[in-house]
Amino acid sequence: MLHGGEESAVGDEVVGRIVARVLQREAGDRGHAIHEIIGETLFHERSRLEGTTGPRADADDAFYKRVARSLAGPGAAPGAALVREVVRHYTVEIRGHFDPRVYAVATRVLPAGLNALLNGLSPLHVLTRARDLPSIEENVVLDGEIETLRSLANVGTVILAPTHSSNLDSLLLGFAIFRMGLPPFSYGAGLNLFTNPLTSFFMNHLGAYTVDRSKTDPLYRSTLKEFATALLERGHHNLFFPGGTRSRSGAVETHLKKGLLGTGLTAFKNNLRSKKPRPRIFIVPATATYPLVLEAKSLIVDFLERTGKGRYVRSEDEFNIVRRWVEFLSGLLRLRLRIPLVIGKPFDPFGNDVDASGASHDARGRPVDPARYLMADGALVDDQARDAEYTSELAARLLKAYRADNVALAPAVLAFAIFELLRRESPRLDLYRLLRRVGPEAPLPAAAVGEEVSALVAEIRAMARDGRIRIGDESIDPNVVVRRGLETFRTYHAVPVIDRQGDHFRIRDANLAFYYRNRLDGYGLRGSTPLAGADP
Amino acid sequence: MNTEVRVTVVGAGNWGTTLAHRIASNGHPVTLLTRDPAQLEEINERHTNARSVPGLTIAKNARAVIDMKEAIVGAVLVLFAVPSQAFRAVASAAADFLSPEQLVIHATKGLERLTHRRMSEILLEETCVRQIGVLSGPNLAAEIAAEKPAATVIASHFPRVVRTGRRVLSSARMMVFAGDDVVGVELAGAFKNVVAIAAGMAEELRMGENAKAFLITRGLAEMARLGVALGARPLTFAGLSGVGDLTVTCASAQSRNNRVGRALVRGGVLSDVLRDIGMVAEGVYASVSVHELAAAHGIDVPLMDHVYRVLYEGLSPSASVDELMRLPSGNDVDAFGRGRAALDT
Repeated sequence: MLHGGEESAVGDEVVGRIVARVLQREAGDRGHAIHEIIGETLFHERSRLEGTTGPRADADDAFYKRVARSLAGPGAAPGAALVREVVRHYTVEIRGHFDPRVYAVATRVLPAGLNALLNGLSPLHVLTRARDLPSIEENVVLDGEIETLRSLANVGTVILAPTHSSNLDSLLLGFAIFRMGLPPFSYGAGLNLFTNPLTSFFMNHLGAYTVDRSKTDPLYRSTLKEFATALLERGHHNLFFPGGTRSRSGAVETHLKKGLLGTGLTAFKNNLRSKKPRPRIFIVPATATYPLVLEAKSLIVDFLERTGKGRYVRSEDEFNIVRRWVEFLSGLLRLRLRIPLVIGKPFDPFGNDVDASGASHDARGRPVDPARYLMADGALVDDQARDAEYTSELAARLLKAYRADNVALAPAVLAFAIFELLRRESPRLDLYRLLRRVGPEAPLPAAAVGEEVSALVAEIRAMARDGRIRIGDESIDPNVVVRRGLETFRTYHAVPVIDRQGDHFRIRDANLAFYYRNRLDGYGLRGSTPLAGADP
Repeated sequence: MNTEVRVTVVGAGNWGTTLAHRIASNGHPVTLLTRDPAQLEEINERHTNARSVPGLTIAKNARAVIDMKEAIVGAVLVLFAVPSQAFRAVASAAADFLSPEQLVIHATKGLERLTHRRMSEILLEETCVRQIGVLSGPNLAAEIAAEKPAATVIASHFPRVVRTGRRVLSSARMMVFAGDDVVGVELAGAFKNVVAIAAGMAEELRMGENAKAFLITRGLAEMARLGVALGARPLTFAGLSGVGDLTVTCASAQSRNNRVGRALVRGGVLSDVLRDIGMVAEGVYASVSVHELAAAHGIDVPLMDHVYRVLYEGLSPSASVDELMRLPSGNDVDAFGRGRAALDT
């Protein structure tokens, strides 16, 4: 399926396509507008590079100086040539080490390595000297439409679209893809995954290309989208997080980034135009629910400070501290905490349900020919506004799937119940004042907690029967919820998030209790209104 | 572009027949779906539909059919003009033949009972089509049929839907404006029918012109407040589908909802009143949705709530007026969604 030499082919095609698009957009306003595009690039990139050091930054700096020189003065380069140069520069970076040859080989090499990492065989065993850690297979619980996904990977090209809570997601999904016996997926990974010593090796060998979220230049975003589209058209299954970044609040995604999500539709349309034998693109939601989240602390602080927007690599992020990984993974494994990963029902690029043979159906099960969404008077028609609207509908259906496939785990249920009790006690306090109030000095009687947990569990069970949420095995019995919740909260974080002393429960870390509670936000459970709001 | 567009109108009632006639008059081939064999024959042979639009001679380009498949297959644009409570069943029957490239516009001003779904939501749930729009505005069918000047709005997120709708419907007597606030236009169309019932009551109670203006203005504020809470944009209520449609429904004796209000004051029982009118008065259903939606979202809609209480809780119209006039008054123009909260400022 993949051949050597394709690497540069992908790049060249993307460069050609972007340049063509930019020129088309600015047709009729020639010369001048092209310079504006370059001006924009220079502005965004120079702002980004300010205060950044290192060889990569130096190289970029030199590159843009040269672009700026070509832009002005006698003998200025033609605009189109400059755009082409910048796009090529971006493409080379995005492609990074993405090498189809490695990508193909990685199928065989990767799983052992990834399993080893998650099992703690390499770093963990060395650091903890634990030799009897249970297998990762017991901790990651795969569920849902696995058979359908397997089948779809053979009849078309799949976009796996997971929820995003943690940087562990990429590893978890890499493992899941292997476990399900799927062919490899290409994957747009954030720069930080390449710089983290624990993950860089895998990223460089996972068919990963590089996404630098600190780049705000619109031309960069276009290049990235075109790159992903080109991969899809070549039949590379693709993995990306439509939420964009990790959920800062801990809540399930409430809105999605439509740009990357829309690449499925564009690739489908291009495939139809070029009469590809297997033109179909399938979007498969995947929902991972963690009982504990590695980076919970820094994520929720980020959310509360509202500074998360635009900042992606926090140096103090737990993700980059090896010791925290060790603590996290060993805690997870010791308690045999389950991480449910639910593969959702697949969609076509228009949000229709898809069956295992790849055929689309409307909401009432009638067959639908997806190509016809793109047609008028019997021919394929380009219409950006239309396609954006189709992608919005797909996004709405993905969001619904995430909510339905979210699993209510004991820690979230316990945190939600306790948070609700406290909130009901002080209904007039806004979120920030409430969070300052709910420390250890506000103990809650165990009986009240027990009652609230029971009522909450009953509501979640009713909701689960309607298919609006899932419930973990350990969340069915309220007593188990409390025991398991406390146990989990004692495991990893610096202080137990919630603990019990005698007849009273106390929140010891209000922010984290809020974070774990948010996984059940927005369902209207116990008459609550959403607190997590729209995630940045 | 002057090319013909194949249009199908589903529903040969008063509004559906009028729309089919207008579009056919513009030279487009129109298929009009009816359920009634007698009506089919009347439209195709005599070019009239006396029960739905008395006195109208339907343009020759319009042809009635009774078979859903025949109606839907091959149409570029499908227009739904059926009552809100029948909408799901009709959409579901059409869905067997609808195809994704088809454009759909509905002209139904109401919400589905119990679910409070908007018509475009029903279309998404029941059919494969995505390219959906809504047609609404101050459009008394009889005046449109009589070629009196009028304006209307087509709202859709899909520019091609708006473009095609405008192309087939615009004429020297009809200005078609564009919009993209589908939620707002749909909700405005549904809510105004509730206020119209109140206007009918005011009329019959001989409350005078001041009271009518009072009612329209405060009614509009309520509509916008609830609409914004449900995702509409506030300014939509200042447009044709908002204040435009509200004005005509409240002022006109032709409006069915207005007639319901007047009949109730004369002492009619709701079921008798509806039977006498013989057509669907959407406001009667919409008031239930408004009542429940306002309660669920904590939005203050005293006027529309009183319509609900007169219709379903036996409150007398005159007692209702007394009660309404004693409510505390807040700021005249406040931020949408604040209700009477500005009272003590």
